[in-house]
Amino acid sequence: MKKTVRLMPFWMVFLVFLFLTSPWSAIAQTPAAPDTGQVEPQTMGAEPAAAEMAQPAPCPARPTVQIDKTSLNNGGEIIVTGQAPPGKPVFLEVWAADKTVRANRFDSKKDPKTGKIPYVFYLTYDMPAYYKIFVPKTAQPQLDAIKQEGKKWSFSKALETLEAGAAYSVPAKMSIERYKATIMASIIGSRGNLMPAMDDQENKKSSMQLVKSRFQSADKVLGADIEVNPDGTYKAVIKIQAGLAPGNYKIMAAVDKDLRSEPAEFENKINFPFVYLSVAGTSQNIFWPFLLTLAISIFGVLMGAGGGFILNPILVSLFPLPHTIVAGTVMPTVLFSQASGIYNYSKIKFINWKLGCTIGAAMLLGGFIGPKLTELITLSQFKFAFGWILLVLAALMFWQTTPGYLAKNKKEQAVLKEFKKRAEEAAKAKQA
Amino acid sequence: MKIDFWGQEFEANMILGCIGGFLIAVMSSMFGFGGGPFMVPLLTVGLRLPMYIVVGSSLLAIFFNTSMSSIRHYQFGNFDLVLFLCMFPAALLGGYIGPQIAKRVSPTVVKQIACAGLVLLGLNLLGLY
Repeated sequence: MKKTVRLMPFWMVFLVFLFLTSPWSAIAQTPAAPDTGQVEPQTMGAEPAAAEMAQPAPCPARPTVQIDKTSLNNGGEIIVTGQAPPGKPVFLEVWAADKTVRANRFDSKKDPKTGKIPYVFYLTYDMPAYYKIFVPKTAQPQLDAIKQEGKKWSFSKALETLEAGAAYSVPAKMSIERYKATIMASIIGSRGNLMPAMDDQENKKSSMQLVKSRFQSADKVLGADIEVNPDGTYKAVIKIQAGLAPGNYKIMAAVDKDLRSEPAEFENKINFPFVYLSVAGTSQNIFWPFLLTLAISIFGVLMGAGGGFILNPILVSLFPLPHTIVAGTVMPTVLFSQASGIYNYSKIKFINWKLGCTIGAAMLLGGFIGPKLTELITLSQFKFAFGWILLVLAALMFWQTTPGYLAKNKKEQAVLKEFKKRAEEAAKAKQA
Repeated sequence: MKIDFWGQEFEANMILGCIGGFLIAVMSSMFGFGGGPFMVPLLTVGLRLPMYIVVGSSLLAIFFNTSMSSIRHYQFGNFDLVLFLCMFPAALLGGYIGPQIAKRVSPTVVKQIACAGLVLLGLNLLGLY
């Protein structure tokens, strides 16, 4: 009983901590939204002026960009037209200008030259929430070949084969931090030592790798949709899919490294029930995760396991959410049901505090290390490992339906009932 | 270590319990699930404790893990408030509705369904179909 008293403040303090920290982040995020709303009319006003300036300019070398609309409602199609020097391929770089997300990559591949494994963790917070390079339609076969490579494709090689390196500019300027990871640092849960900043060339190279680790498939960052005419005019129907970040997007045409157009801007608007998830970098109809969580948590109660097992893999499979966000957000969701469970058991004195706290201490250590490891793996590794975990869990579930287990369980349920009865009687006796 | 529970005494191998708990905690915090279905077999089969001690105490042990890893995930910027706010009420509501349905269905049947579902989901994640 003494231990009960000592422990209560610990988790209560924690709950208070969680409640306090949440509004902080809410305050930190909310000003960003109205801000963009206010800035937006200015850029809208400035945009036609910029287009006019670019158009009458006599210099024929610089490509131009015109778009048919300046706002979209949760995705849609935009027709981009323009003029470029004749006989040259045109590339379009499209990106979300005011919404950035985090991207990270853990480099543990053996360097073929030195034979050493670098163990470097790359991290940036400046990755555009949307980024795509469009190439001429004639490059479709090359693009298909890249898609054929599956998960092993390389963004820098793809840009080379498509000759689209000239269009790649925005992520190259991201500020990227890199950390030298050591086993010791990983154990204590640190990212390792910050390494000196990279030069522009290195930065560009690692930014390409980060683009890949963020957007995963070649489909998402490359598209062959530009029709280029012999006279240098071009036309592209750019499809912005639903569920992307809201805010301003920019389109820039590029022919050569130094031959880039002024950016054209458009706005992607989203309305309720679509909500922008700023950490995940995508917009989401919030009813779907709600219904999914509801169904799975009911099922979780029925089968006697937390819903996290099923919820996590479904969330990463169905929605464009990074696995780090899914793991990090589902975890606190189950916290409260666990707390209420502990409270209910402790009322009928069904918790052995000595046992729970001893193993809890070991688990506390494990919980300190685990979240670090989530960052180090890729989405496909996450899915692969989770697949095995689910198979093991299925085996455990099957074991729980075998007759031997059920008979043992029945006996213990009877003991449990007996104890519960005693607990109730004790409570009554206390009241009397 | 000796465990005292309602007048009965049990002997448990805590070294095994702590190592197992640690490994389960690393795994569960890494992939973002509770870990209950792994803890219960560890304590019942590994430590030979009866089920009625294990249910409540394993929940307590898991709570330590979940709170620690929630803080760590938050520190690493893996927490999305909006997503949390739309899942959290659903989890609460599910926790309220669940036990009321649980009275009417057989847990064995539910587990058999869950077993089949988990195999399918697992194979799907492994990319086998």
